[in-house]
Amino acid sequence: MRSHVISTKNAVKTIDPLVVKNLKVWFPIKSGVIQKTIGHVKAVDGVSFSVKKNETLGVVGESGSGKTTLARAILRLVKPTAGEVRFDGINIPKANRQQMKTLRQKVQIIFQDPYASLDPRQTVSSLLREAMHIHGVVKSKSEATEKSLKLLRKVGLDEEHLYRFPHEFSGGQRQRIAVARALVANAEFLILDEPTSFLDVSVQASVLNLLKDLQKDLNLTYMFITHNLAVVHHMSNRVAVMYLGKIVELADKNTIYRNPKHPYTFQLMAAIPVPNPEAKKKEILLEGDVPSPINIPLGCRFHPRCKYAKEKCRKVEPNLVEKDGHFVACHSEIDFSAEMRTGESADG
Amino acid sequence: MSDKRNAKDTVLEIKNLKVNFHTYRGEVKALNGVDLKLCCKEVLALVGESGCGKSVTVQTLIGLLPENASVLEGEIILDGDNLINKTKEEMRILRTHDLAIVFQDPMTFLNPVLTIGTQLEEVVTMDKDLLVEAIAIEKPKQKLDFTDLIKMDDSATEPKNLKISRRETKRIAKRLCAAILSLVKLPDQERILKQYPFELSGGMRQRAMIAMALARRPSIFIADEITTALDVTIQAQILHLLKELRDKIDASTLMITHDLSVAAETADRIAVMYGGNVVEVASSVVLFRRPFHPYAQMLLKAIPNIENPTSRLEAIPGTVPEMIDPPPGCRFHPRCKYAMDACTKKRPRLKEVEKGHEVACYLY
Repeated sequence: MRSHVISTKNAVKTIDPLVVKNLKVWFPIKSGVIQKTIGHVKAVDGVSFSVKKNETLGVVGESGSGKTTLARAILRLVKPTAGEVRFDGINIPKANRQQMKTLRQKVQIIFQDPYASLDPRQTVSSLLREAMHIHGVVKSKSEATEKSLKLLRKVGLDEEHLYRFPHEFSGGQRQRIAVARALVANAEFLILDEPTSFLDVSVQASVLNLLKDLQKDLNLTYMFITHNLAVVHHMSNRVAVMYLGKIVELADKNTIYRNPKHPYTFQLMAAIPVPNPEAKKKEILLEGDVPSPINIPLGCRFHPRCKYAKEKCRKVEPNLVEKDGHFVACHSEIDFSAEMRTGESADG
Repeated sequence: MSDKRNAKDTVLEIKNLKVNFHTYRGEVKALNGVDLKLCCKEVLALVGESGCGKSVTVQTLIGLLPENASVLEGEIILDGDNLINKTKEEMRILRTHDLAIVFQDPMTFLNPVLTIGTQLEEVVTMDKDLLVEAIAIEKPKQKLDFTDLIKMDDSATEPKNLKISRRETKRIAKRLCAAILSLVKLPDQERILKQYPFELSGGMRQRAMIAMALARRPSIFIADEITTALDVTIQAQILHLLKELRDKIDASTLMITHDLSVAAETADRIAVMYGGNVVEVASSVVLFRRPFHPYAQMLLKAIPNIENPTSRLEAIPGTVPEMIDPPPGCRFHPRCKYAMDACTKKRPRLKEVEKGHEVACYLY
């Protein structure tokens, strides 16, 4: 309760560092001799949300739901078709070179595969130095070395690792190097795109702990993208659930896991395997597969798989509506909390 | 169930299996004496991180080790035979009848240029007994039920008339394929049989793979990371299917997974592997309640749990051992907080500490 009051107070005082408004990323499908556009893959199709200072916003969704495209569009690694991404008030898709330069220092991304994101021909030292050089944060070589060492120690590595090549490290260590590189120039906002999905559980735990520690020490804001619902629960303050290029629900972590309002979220939560063989879980199965983002169903895009679909759902697309910080895009107001709770009491 | 075998009987036993890989960098000691028992009709999950040897165990079991691997020691006993001594041809026959396996990525195991129907028919027509039995029980205008045929596999012993015309084979094979697809809950079977693998979604492909494996009425069904490439909701569907099938199919299941939660949801017993050894075996309830091996204890604390959230996960210090030059004695000792002198000298063997709970650790 108390934290809730504080967060609303803060919202009045400060603006959220990242505000995304109606962002769309459509990829054209071209065909024929003259390469005529015959359709669009609507990877991200009208997404609006904001990330608060120092929080971790988890973004979950199945493959093809547009999580990664959303991350890339925020960073302008792909060109958004429409919409706004405001970081500290600057609209990223329309920012000029000078503005982009400062933005690139503040907003950083950590990719999924640490085997692909580090140049195999560069030592850790030169990887870090290159980043420092680009951002112009150091003046001399000795300063660069000093700073690299500091960064490496911060991510749990040591001086001996400075002159090694990426292939000499394990997956977890490589991901630590990627984190160090992202922090080279006073980053404020990190987009973590499935940072632990390539790692084993025992290593994943240490990387997640590191990310939590860094957030506290350096006042970082995270956007944590993953398909692993247990990991996102562990890391996030708020969670956004994406389905076919749209956010269907966004709320505080505990609310979304205990009291989901959208049928998709509810069924997604029910599908998570629980590491407890004695848990008497209700079998709630989501039928069918995710439709193709080329032919998005009319009306609510979840309706072909939704048990509760009504006539209205087939025609009118629901908007993301807020109620006490809980955003839901659904026509029917269904209360799943009772069903979620029966599952819980059976475990206890 | 009219079965000759008892539920507690061991169907498959792996004894002290040691496998090395020859590489340019040296001998990779992938398996360091694996002991494992698969009981009749149970679901046993083999759990471990990457590089622990779970896939090599399966490869050795089905006789598909790569060229550069050699079995140094050990036995794999199935129906009184040691599989290690079998020839390639004998192993191939065994794979068509008794051992069925489904792999992680169905797209690499389905032939992309043949329809699902062609591929499934190929499997079905190989088994002449199955065709004869299907003709015997089929009723006109009624769908075949594959579960009836599975039950017949054990009971029927009398010699059969194996002459079926080509046309008859074709006809009954079609009906059988549809029956198998409905066993794995694929809707609209006629249409799916005419489709190519690329036309199916990931979950449907995996169902088709399971169908192909079960069409042979195996006695051992191996599921090697079958849900790893799938989304959670699809994973839930497939796990649900496996649970439904376990009573219908007359097989023992060996499930390979790196995900402890998946093992918890489906398995009767769990075997935890680390560094080429099975370090702990117990029923899944016991293992999650009271793990004995320090590695198993730490592994359970390292997974984020939605039901009992903690602010910090307990990471296991250090990394998975190098298999070319593994630590002597217990391979976990460099990362273990209870490591003693004995741990560095001799490898602890699995021993039964409680009834049905085996651990390979000197602490017990």
